[in-house]
Amino acid sequence: MTKTKNSKNHKEIYLPMQVRVLDVIDLTSDTKLYRLEKPKGFFYNPGQFLMASVWGAGEVPISVTSTSELHDDIELCVRKVGAVTSAIHELKPGDYIGIRGPLGNGFPPEEAYGKDILFVAGGIGIAPLRSLINFVMNQKKKFGKTALVYGSRNPAEVLFVPEIIKWKAEGMDAIVTVDVKNEECEYCTGIVTEHLTRQKISFKTGHSYICGPHVMIKSVMRDLSLMGMPPDNIITTMEAHMKCGVGKCGHCYADGKYICTNGPVFSYNEIKKYNFNNNP
Amino acid sequence: MKGDFVLNKAHLSYWLRQLRKESDLIAPLRSVDGDIILSSVTGIHEIELDCPANIPSPKEFIFPQKEEMFKFSGKGVDALNNSRKRVIFGVRSCDMSAVALMDRFYGGLFEDGFYVSRRKNTIFISIACNNPDPTCFCIGLGTGPYLKSGFDIQLTDLGDRYLVQVGSKEGHAPVKRFRHLFQSPGKSDYDDQYEANLSSQSKFEKRITLENVRQKILAGKVDDSFWESVALRCFECGGCVYECPLCTCFNVIDWKETPDKGVRMRLWDTCMFKGFTKMAGNVLPAEKKIMRTKRWYFHKLLYYPEQFGKFGCVGCGRCTITCPGRIDMATIANKLD
Repeated sequence: MTKTKNSKNHKEIYLPMQVRVLDVIDLTSDTKLYRLEKPKGFFYNPGQFLMASVWGAGEVPISVTSTSELHDDIELCVRKVGAVTSAIHELKPGDYIGIRGPLGNGFPPEEAYGKDILFVAGGIGIAPLRSLINFVMNQKKKFGKTALVYGSRNPAEVLFVPEIIKWKAEGMDAIVTVDVKNEECEYCTGIVTEHLTRQKISFKTGHSYICGPHVMIKSVMRDLSLMGMPPDNIITTMEAHMKCGVGKCGHCYADGKYICTNGPVFSYNEIKKYNFNNNP
Repeated sequence: MKGDFVLNKAHLSYWLRQLRKESDLIAPLRSVDGDIILSSVTGIHEIELDCPANIPSPKEFIFPQKEEMFKFSGKGVDALNNSRKRVIFGVRSCDMSAVALMDRFYGGLFEDGFYVSRRKNTIFISIACNNPDPTCFCIGLGTGPYLKSGFDIQLTDLGDRYLVQVGSKEGHAPVKRFRHLFQSPGKSDYDDQYEANLSSQSKFEKRITLENVRQKILAGKVDDSFWESVALRCFECGGCVYECPLCTCFNVIDWKETPDKGVRMRLWDTCMFKGFTKMAGNVLPAEKKIMRTKRWYFHKLLYYPEQFGKFGCVGCGRCTITCPGRIDMATIANKLD
């Protein structure tokens, strides 16, 4: 359905590819999971993102939450927060959505072969990590112990509950913590940093993958580093305002790096100086 | 294909008139309100040959302030491409250097089709600066007043004639086709060019080396109190960004004509505005002004050298003229140097 004029030997980096929405699953009151048709030959790494595009509304960067090797479709987890995500939330199965990508560098799971892994997620930060978690759990023998600390505002907003149960059954030590607990739920309370030490993994040699709000990322990275984890092993994926996703529009530039092309995955070593949103 | 020629000034208007037959001719013209700006030429005699160096840069012709990217409707999407042939006459060496760097920025791994298609169809005829403005400091950056390379066609005013230098494949055709207008240069032409170059170099009032500034920042000798004082004087007008021949940031918006028909376009954007980095949930990573002013300077003084081996500044001095708070590149560099 897309045609390009004048497309002689240049590939159009800003033109989204139209793909069909196969299924829309309500996860929470404001978050939906979109299963999209995967174009032939489309491959992505855990941690990479797409520019999701609705003509007339605009484009937003969204991490892929599925795993290329395990899923026949592309899954995006979208929370309704602005104009474009609202437009995406209007989409129904059978509709078309534009995607550009995969973009960004992605996680380096091969660096953690044979080592323990700790995943730390906050809120919708579980979405990009889910791609990596499924990748790791699928070849669990290659890795050491796996653990997850996942914080959420309240029990109703905990995402991917059936999968967390499945990961637990496969041997992952998962702690889910919420800010406010209602009576009969088995989650812990408190912020994620309070639960990091409860995980019985080797912090000295282990690797951690973190995604969540900036404040959370910052304190988790600092804490893990204080607990003896080498800064190169503390990996996060960052969020930023993006318009192009390919290092041109300049919106995501911060501290000498374009988050879209140099990231979005960075190690603590690379962004230690980056002050998130407290200081310049 | 390179080569040097001499063009008698009497032949200039004929040459330009011929070039205009085959493509749009853009040159410095006086607008109705008295400013000199680059615009499409209708009468060759109206071209302002002796305009100051600091007229608005030719950036908007290869990276327009507003560029339509895609037309969408219920039926599909058309990528819009501008392939109009253009000759831009009268740009300065600093601007040519900026274009050369922009070519690298918009090229590379992800090639920007919109930029490349405009650029491919544009030939620049630049004029070396015999009379730099008091705000110019290209001499300290090697981006002027005369270029050794990185131009299509460079003219040097030698009084009654121009020394014409062809510096690129694209620049060869406009000269070759009207070869009978051009003579081969002799020793006296080169001598005159050398003299003009020397006298131009001595006219620069500002001597700035950004490398010293960069080294100081890298060594951590510039603390935030300095940037705080800079930020205090920032009006957040975005003038520096719009005037800068090397500021390339853009915003993308979808404009709807009817509910299912419209245009996706990009517009110049500026990092001096608070909303520039605004994220979902109203998170503002660069809420404080100091973060934004610092970001602009660091992008030009640290990121560009690291990525491209050249400063993100060509010393055109336009921010010096534009900035109402006097926190332009030259002033800051002078303070830090």
